[in-house]
Amino acid sequence: MMRTAMPAAGALRGVALAALLVASPAAYAACDAGPGVLRGETPKVALAFRTTPPVIKVGELFSLQAQVCPQEGVSVAGLKVDAGMPAHKHGMNYQPRVSSTGAGKYTATGLMFHMPGQWQFTFDVETPAGRERIRVDYTAE
Amino acid sequence: MPRAARLVAAALLARGLVRLASGLVLLTRGLVLLARGLVLLARSLVLLARSLVLLTGGLVPPAATSAAHTPEEIRNIQRHGPWPQAVPRDPSNRASGNIDAIALGRALFFDPRLSPREDLACATCHLPERALTDGRDRGQGGGAAKPRLDRNTPGLWNTAHGHWFGWDGGADSLWSFALRPILHPDELGASAAHVARLLRGDANLACRYRNAFGRAVPPEAAVETALVDAAKALAAYLETLVSGRSAFDEFRDALARGDAAAAARYPAAARRGLALFAGKGQCSVCHFGPNFSNGEFHNIGMPHLVEPGRVDPGRHGGIRRVREDKYNLLGAFSDDATRASGSRTLHLAENHANYGQFKVPSLRNVELTAPYMHDGRLATLREVVRHYSELDEDRLHQDGEALLKPLRLSDAESEDLVAFLRSLTSRSFPDLNPAPGPCKRRGF
Repeated sequence: MMRTAMPAAGALRGVALAALLVASPAAYAACDAGPGVLRGETPKVALAFRTTPPVIKVGELFSLQAQVCPQEGVSVAGLKVDAGMPAHKHGMNYQPRVSSTGAGKYTATGLMFHMPGQWQFTFDVETPAGRERIRVDYTAE
Repeated sequence: MPRAARLVAAALLARGLVRLASGLVLLTRGLVLLARGLVLLARSLVLLARSLVLLTGGLVPPAATSAAHTPEEIRNIQRHGPWPQAVPRDPSNRASGNIDAIALGRALFFDPRLSPREDLACATCHLPERALTDGRDRGQGGGAAKPRLDRNTPGLWNTAHGHWFGWDGGADSLWSFALRPILHPDELGASAAHVARLLRGDANLACRYRNAFGRAVPPEAAVETALVDAAKALAAYLETLVSGRSAFDEFRDALARGDAAAAARYPAAARRGLALFAGKGQCSVCHFGPNFSNGEFHNIGMPHLVEPGRVDPGRHGGIRRVREDKYNLLGAFSDDATRASGSRTLHLAENHANYGQFKVPSLRNVELTAPYMHDGRLATLREVVRHYSELDEDRLHQDGEALLKPLRLSDAESEDLVAFLRSLTSRSFPDLNPAPGPCKRRGF
């Protein structure tokens, strides 16, 4: 699995707005990857998430739980979640719903990968200065 | 010659003759042994030749042997099984898996009285002898006009493995899928009141209803409940329509357990076609899993003009229909109190690319369900393969999706792909309409 961070662009689907979260470097480090945890980052924001179930099954709905970790001085206003297959130039057939569970944590439901192959998650972290886009690749078997 | 000398000569002659006879016997035995040896040699050669044939799958080029499948192809092949798969109980349908409801659904499926005109039953278009389709390009309605319907009659084998039903996925459950033709004026053209009257007025059906749902058929004031229950009983019956194993299933399982001899019984042409299907052709990306369908929707470049001036919107219309349908999984008629089974409906995304998308059909028994595509415009499997071989990319990618590419298959490759598709035909089917006998009322 590869993780890449990209600048913001384009419209996304699932979104949750949260009270502004201003974090410290310690919080940024809290988004470190671990067993079953996927991670991506930009210079301003890191994001770690795990999916339920841990291994995504083609054709089955899944959810994800994300933790957003901003650098010191960066505030977070919300998160959008989407995914697609870049090689096929298509997205998902379902629109995830994202809800904030507090302290920089979010839950997204209603995601589904309808084909095997290379998918890419796109997370747009909303900040007062603009959108920080994080992309994380995932291979669905 | 003295007598003694004659006696000696005679004895010598006799001994010589005995030795000659022994020699002849030994020679004969030797010849017999030689012949046996030659027979054994010949048999050995035959066995050796048969073994080679079995190991290579017949007169097959080396590239088509099982050993030549790439790891990715083998992984893709394994995803298409095992078969059959257990049919999950439908939480939105309390009749799902209920043996009495299955009996009621089976009776209704074959009963033309479900139509007020008594000219159409479900089985009129979903013919058992035609793999539960009708052999027409587009379905034919009922009544005097017998209107030509917009789409090809879908087969009903293994439908319970899907999440969306109909070419546009306009139904999110098997029971709401069953409601549409019952109510559509061009098809059975029934009403809730008619279905309730039928259930009440026929002693056998009323008995089966009571057994299935634990109460009498609802009164006039609740005919919609009777209608939905009838559809749920039909769905319970449809859930039982699981096709048997095919030659492909035998091959797939043999490959999984490393049984080269059993795998070699799979026809060589089908094996080459499978390599195309799971490899270069990437067909298994959409025709995914044990039922050879990912259950979703794609635009494969088929025209979707129903008639001059009228377009079939495909999935775009299906999404709107299912959202507006009071019988959907988020509505009051679902038996799933959690509404969790409606999660797909809840999260549906709608966009312009949905225009012209149609459901990816299962390929099990595809040989038996001609003609093909949502409007039945392709008469044979060869035409289907030709379509994918010569795809018009400009038409396909108008909405930016870049999934399909023309396969540019040779004639031989096309024939192999067709051979593979034919190997998905089940070798056995359950009896669709066994004589049910009179209904015996349960003790409640």
